[in-house]
This record gives sequence, structure tokens and C-alpha cells, in this order.
Amino acid sequence: MIEVGRVCVKIAGRDAGKKCAIVKLLEDNYVLVDGETRRRKCNVKHLEMLSEKVDIKVDAATKDVCKALSVDFKEKKNKEVKAATVRPRKQRKQKVKENKKPAKEVKKKVATKKAVKKDAGKTSTSTTTE
Amino acid sequence: MQNKFKSRTFRRVKVKTATETVTQYRKPKPSKAKCAGCGKVLAGVPHQRPYKMQNMPKTLKRPERPYGGVLCSSCMRKQIISEVRK
Repeated sequence: MIEVGRVCVKIAGRDAGKKCAIVKLLEDNYVLVDGETRRRKCNVKHLEMLSEKVDIKVDAATKDVCKALSVDFKEKKNKEVKAATVRPRKQRKQKVKENKKPAKEVKKKVATKKAVKKDAGKTSTSTTTE
Repeated sequence: MQNKFKSRTFRRVKVKTATETVTQYRKPKPSKAKCAGCGKVLAGVPHQRPYKMQNMPKTLKRPERPYGGVLCSSCMRKQIISEVRK
């Protein structure tokens, strides 16, 4: 009864009530099971054997087992790798840099101010003396 | 003390207040969940007051298998086997 390709139903755990096929015989009382259930090691006590049998090789892939059991098999989709995008904050920073006006010459202005002040003082003193 | 508090259905909790310790009475818990097949007390199903059960996620409230929280594991097994062998 317990052989590769035997169709059974799981009667324990969260996969209980789901159809599966024996894929491989492991240690005594344990088998590898696949199909509607997840592919996993399973105690024979947790399986209800059916009279059906399916043609699969030992250690067959999930795809083949699903095909034999006529179960929907969902392939894993390869995610498309997105091209690296410039982050909006970086973009804004770049824009600001480009539009920035050249810095004003501060030193010269200060010098002129001082000169003006000195001149003003001189003029005031000159007026008093007069 | 009110008469209804004389029976031990209500839980007694001692609470420290500013002046003295007072006994307060908490409402009783609902009864335990039982298997619909054999009447056994279900494991993995908590019995708390509804306000606590509301905040619990579903996975904490029942085992993750078909008929979880309704049938015990052995009754569930019998049910599935009888369905399969038809």
C-alpha cells in the first residue's frame, strides 16, 4: 500500500483534508509527500491511503506531481529588477545646486563700509572744529 | 456586600487605593469551548471575556486546521476519513 505514486489524503495538521501523492520513502513510517499539500516529510499515521495510483518517478519535482494529480501548480514569478531611480530629495538638491547664483563678494563690501564710517567721523570732527 | 457576590462565581481582586485595600468583583469568564462531536474541552481555544477576544488575532483563537475550534483533532480525523472513503 505504501509506495511511490500512491495518492492519499492528509488527516492531520493544517493540510488536513488535502490530496497528495507519496514521492519518496524515507525512514520507517515516514514518507515524502507532495501535491495540494506542501512538500514535506509526513508520518504514515497522518495519511489516509486511497485506491488510486499515479505514475511519478522517485523524488519527482512538484510540477510533475501536480500535473499527475491534476492540481493547479503556481510557478514562482521572477521579479523584474527595477532600475535605480534618483530619489526626489536628491533631484531637488541637484536642481538647487544648478540654479544657485555665484556667492557675492562680501569682503569688499565690509571694507567699503568701514571706509565710509571713517570718512563720516572725519567730516563730523572737522565740522566741530570749524 | 450585595447578595450576588456571596457566591464564588465572581472573581475577587484586592485593589490598593489611597486610603485602604478594597476587594473588587470581576465578572466571570465564559464557559470553555467544547467539541461538537464528543463534547471534549477543546485545546488551543482560549475562553476570555469578549473585549479581550476581540483584540486577539484569529490564529490565537483556534488551531490552524479544518474544523479548528469546532471539532477536536480525533473527531476531525474521523470526519475526513468518512468523507474520503465514500
